[in-house]
Amino acid sequence: MIESVVDVLVGLLGEDWRSGLEYITNGKHMAWYASFKFTLIAAVAGAFFAVIFGLLGAALKQSTFAPFRWIGSLYVNIVRGVPDVLFFIFFPLAFEQTVEYFFSRTRCTAEEIANSAGSWPPCDAAQWYLSGNDYLILACVSLGLVYGAFAANVIHGAMVSVPKGQLEAAQAYGFTEKQVFWRFKVRQMWVYALPGLSNVWMLLLKATSLLSLLQIADIVLWADRLGAPNYLARAGLVHPDWRWKYYLALFIFYILMAMISERVFRALQNRASRGMVTVN
Amino acid sequence: MDWLLDNAFVQDIITLARPATYNLYFALISIPLGFPFAMLLALGKNSSNRVISWFSRAYIYAFRGSPLFIQFFMFYSFALSLNRPLWKPMGIDDIVLHPLFLGPLVLVLNTSAYAAEIFYGAIRTVPKGEIEAARAMGMSRWQEFWSVTWPNTIRLAWPAYTNEVVFLFHATVLVYFTLPVINEQKDIMNKAGELFEKDYNLFLHFSVAALYFVVISMLIFFVFGLIHKYLTRHMKKDVVPKFSFKPKYMR
Repeated sequence: MIESVVDVLVGLLGEDWRSGLEYITNGKHMAWYASFKFTLIAAVAGAFFAVIFGLLGAALKQSTFAPFRWIGSLYVNIVRGVPDVLFFIFFPLAFEQTVEYFFSRTRCTAEEIANSAGSWPPCDAAQWYLSGNDYLILACVSLGLVYGAFAANVIHGAMVSVPKGQLEAAQAYGFTEKQVFWRFKVRQMWVYALPGLSNVWMLLLKATSLLSLLQIADIVLWADRLGAPNYLARAGLVHPDWRWKYYLALFIFYILMAMISERVFRALQNRASRGMVTVN
Repeated sequence: MDWLLDNAFVQDIITLARPATYNLYFALISIPLGFPFAMLLALGKNSSNRVISWFSRAYIYAFRGSPLFIQFFMFYSFALSLNRPLWKPMGIDDIVLHPLFLGPLVLVLNTSAYAAEIFYGAIRTVPKGEIEAARAMGMSRWQEFWSVTWPNTIRLAWPAYTNEVVFLFHATVLVYFTLPVINEQKDIMNKAGELFEKDYNLFLHFSVAALYFVVISMLIFFVFGLIHKYLTRHMKKDVVPKFSFKPKYMR
């Protein structure tokens, strides 16, 4: 199929373009284009988890039960106090080790654990093999955890801005505290949360470039492979170091994504604030 | 004393002290260099000259809209491909390609875009009355800038700028994920990763690494808080927005 696309383009642009177009549509390049899906999946799933964790964090921070409030603040402050990269690498490894710990409790003999002398996992049976897709899921949850802490603050702030009268009216109608929270506060806070959430989304989008740190064959890893000096014994040097071209393409890709997101969020904001009196 | 030194946690704190100086080095070089550049960009964005304004806007948008991780890779590969035609003949290839040079360079380019956006926002909110007063006094534009616009901008931008500095410090982690590690020149994350690969004690090593970041971030907030106090020393206490140690952390 892609060959016919190349033919059409060559027909439009002239025969000079053929070799270039064929080069950027060869198998490896197609694999690179396909790997964009990891980035997009991570961004969308990460955002989904971030909103979930954000809601949870905000709910915890507002809880009337003090220990819940402490847990909420602890989560938000710890995650945001350290670099996102650190947490992004730490969480999947920690999750893996925790699961392996429980495996080792059932699958390893006491002797093996005693003899393991600090190596991990204590015995081979407890080893948990993760595929690339498993790492992708872990990466999404990890992004969700990190940016959920940012989202928690935004959502918390937004919930505070919901007019008191609305909630009092709900209480007056006899809604329980839980109902007031979920049916009124959470429903109405989105307008106030959207500008902040759009910021969090921008951060999260940029953080999707870190997937290669978790051994996922994402766009960055492919850009590095494709751009590296290509030497074939038969044909000599196919091309010198072209990495900067590929990274430049990614640089532009992310800027375009930021532009698109900005548009989408502006439209969402307009939609969410229908019927509201807006100053300015 | 020995029991203290034998403690694995204390051991880690000692091991990671030297790597921490690399993170501090990157931050301490980039902050003073990024500050004036960011100010120029912010003034450029606010400029009435179309070309300057457009260029500043585009620069700020591009660097804020793309990941620092990609920027590091991009500039490093730029520098590599210019090695043979440019750096080698000039005999400066060792310096230009060195992470201790290239790292701060990219960090400066990146942080000035973020800081410029903060300064730009502050410039726009400088009290109009003060500018009018300066004009009524017959000040030249230069005097108006130095005695009204500039001090007000710094004062207004300071809390947000503090946040940006902490973010920059956190971003120094990415230097050695993208640039080559030379011998023992490792930063906190490198060293923590290396320790982890030795004994797989993830929770210990990463907690200590995290502790370093939290403590140094708190130090930055403390120092910048003192500067904020100094900047607003002449103002009524209830007018000054309270400088919070609970950072917004929004970049």
